[in-house]
Amino acid sequence: MKRCTHCQVSVKGDWDRCPLCHQELKADSKVDSMSPYPDIPLRFDKKKVIQRLMLLSLLIILVVFTLGLFFPSPLGPLRISLFGIMSLWLVALIIIRKRRNIAKGIVYLIVSTSLLCVYLDYMAGWSAWSTTYAIPIICISAIIAMFIAVRIVHLKVGDYILYLLTATLLGFLPATFLFFNWTTWAFPAQLSLLMSMLMFAWIIWRHGKDILTELQKRAQI
Amino acid sequence: MGVKQVKQKEQPKQKEWVRLDNASNIFLAAMSTTDTKVFRLSAEMQDKIDPISLQKALEQTYARYKLYHSVLRRGIFWYYLQHTEIIPKVAPEVLAPCSQLYHFDQKELLFRVIYNQNRVHLEVFHVLSDGTGALWFFEDLIKEYILLRYPESLDEIKKEQIEAKVRHLEDSFVTYFRHNGQQSFTESAQSALRNFARTSKRAAFKYGKKFGRALLTDRTVPTKKRRVYRIKGEKTADNRTKVIELEMPVKKILHLAHQEEATLTIYLIALFFESIRKSKSDFQIRDTIAISVPVNLRQFYPSNSARNFFSTVKLEYTYTQERDPQLKEICVSLAKQMSQQLSKESLERRLSRLISYEYNPINRVIPRPIKDGVLKIINYSNNRNLTVAMSNLGRVAFPQSIDGYVNRLYFHTSAVRPQFSVISHGDQLTISFTSPFIDTDIQQQFVRELTSAGVEVTLAANKTQADELRGDF
Repeated sequence: MKRCTHCQVSVKGDWDRCPLCHQELKADSKVDSMSPYPDIPLRFDKKKVIQRLMLLSLLIILVVFTLGLFFPSPLGPLRISLFGIMSLWLVALIIIRKRRNIAKGIVYLIVSTSLLCVYLDYMAGWSAWSTTYAIPIICISAIIAMFIAVRIVHLKVGDYILYLLTATLLGFLPATFLFFNWTTWAFPAQLSLLMSMLMFAWIIWRHGKDILTELQKRAQI
Repeated sequence: MGVKQVKQKEQPKQKEWVRLDNASNIFLAAMSTTDTKVFRLSAEMQDKIDPISLQKALEQTYARYKLYHSVLRRGIFWYYLQHTEIIPKVAPEVLAPCSQLYHFDQKELLFRVIYNQNRVHLEVFHVLSDGTGALWFFEDLIKEYILLRYPESLDEIKKEQIEAKVRHLEDSFVTYFRHNGQQSFTESAQSALRNFARTSKRAAFKYGKKFGRALLTDRTVPTKKRRVYRIKGEKTADNRTKVIELEMPVKKILHLAHQEEATLTIYLIALFFESIRKSKSDFQIRDTIAISVPVNLRQFYPSNSARNFFSTVKLEYTYTQERDPQLKEICVSLAKQMSQQLSKESLERRLSRLISYEYNPINRVIPRPIKDGVLKIINYSNNRNLTVAMSNLGRVAFPQSIDGYVNRLYFHTSAVRPQFSVISHGDQLTISFTSPFIDTDIQQQFVRELTSAGVEVTLAANKTQADELRGDF
């Protein structure tokens, strides 16, 4: 055991300096001096993380401005780089936050990427590419992705069924695009509708009871 | 036990979830990556821990404590505790003390049992239980472990049993482990307040009616404008809790407390206040230091619930310009506030406020995210009026035959502000400081106050910075 002569305490562990006053310790007794607290490596170092995030964001701005010199766009490099940085961090944040429930993560991604597409379409002068192609395709692939993913990671029915249902219901959204005539080609939206209908019928047929149990539990007043 | 389990299986599907009580919701609202709302109870044993015996002991204890078979889930209106069949596994200590136990979207047990060298740690998420409730589980875990690890202790117990029989006393083996009589998951997971309101003579509706009045009258009395000092500092690199742990003989420190005519808790709080005043350069005269101290309600209202059943008292001291106060003056002021807040009327008021909040009908229909938001605001404003916190679990004794196998007990909690936790066993007292900050100036002052008064202190600390872990310290 070591001793701090300034604080007058015996110190356990391999410290060279006093954990309290940071002055040098003196070797004291022969008694075992193992620290009861093992050295646990840092999970992350906040200072380093912030440094890297700043650097990466600066890099994105630099790349976008350089590309803007060769490929001029109607949006201007500033807005594009801002959009790029924002969507990058939004998607990264969703993946990190929702990493423990893949089904929920997919629902969040459908909503956020769809909104990003609509925003970009709007900024670029609205040519309806987001409602014609992007959102229906996102919805179709999300339903398929979720259907496969929950099988690969062996999720319990109760844990994903409400999210699968939400994703399926979101797949009906392109019907409104068809209704208000926001599409330039109807096929992707129709396909999304068809997929959602099939999936919805399958879910109700196979898991109707599970949905009721989950809803009862989660919406209890 | 076996028969009971079979019986349960035969019954139609039981309700396997319990809505989380309002009082526990505050922990979820206040939880952050810095303050994980996890607390740790540790026991230092005679020898290196045997993981196999510990695992067996854990499984046996776990089987008796149904409350611990819980995972926390989120609903639209409520959080709820759901029964789980997950078997807990003991693990070597590879995470920082009081690391997060509950992650949204993950089904995990709300406690963990870990070991390192000759220490066993139980870490519990505060939503599940409070210090006293967790101590019951921990004591039984340690007893089971000792019986498995040191079979000779069993002979001692048998001897005690025979002696007890000779003296026509109750069978000591029956009283050896805690029997709380709560068999089903829903019963053990039920809020302590609901249990209390149900079993006591007061009807629940009485509190429901009282709520409106409580809401109007339970305003804090406006006091003179005063500035509550708040400690600021640089946080640790990965938000882990900084722990400074002190071991000392209990007799010496009790003597010091008695010299000031104070209880141990009051004396330590006063010493902590003085350490803050002396060590913090931005502390100004006329500043107030306020501390929050949890009070175990089981000592006033009998309850065998292991769920949260405590209230907090807030003690404060305002420094005046004239002169530096004597420690005794601070002790007297603190003790007076403590006894006022623990008076029968004050406790009754607290309890009815807690119960009325639990039964408040408006609460039921507000969606959970909104409730979370409101609680976050309440928590934020509460924090603004607090400088520090402390918690004292008191003296813990095991049955005589096994008491000797345990050296010391330790207790600490994750912290949003510097705080200290106290527990004692035998003739050893341990005080563990936890803080989100890397600075140790207050702790240094506190230790120096003790050592200069002649207390022999042994210190241990965890490493929180890259340079400390590299060995540059």
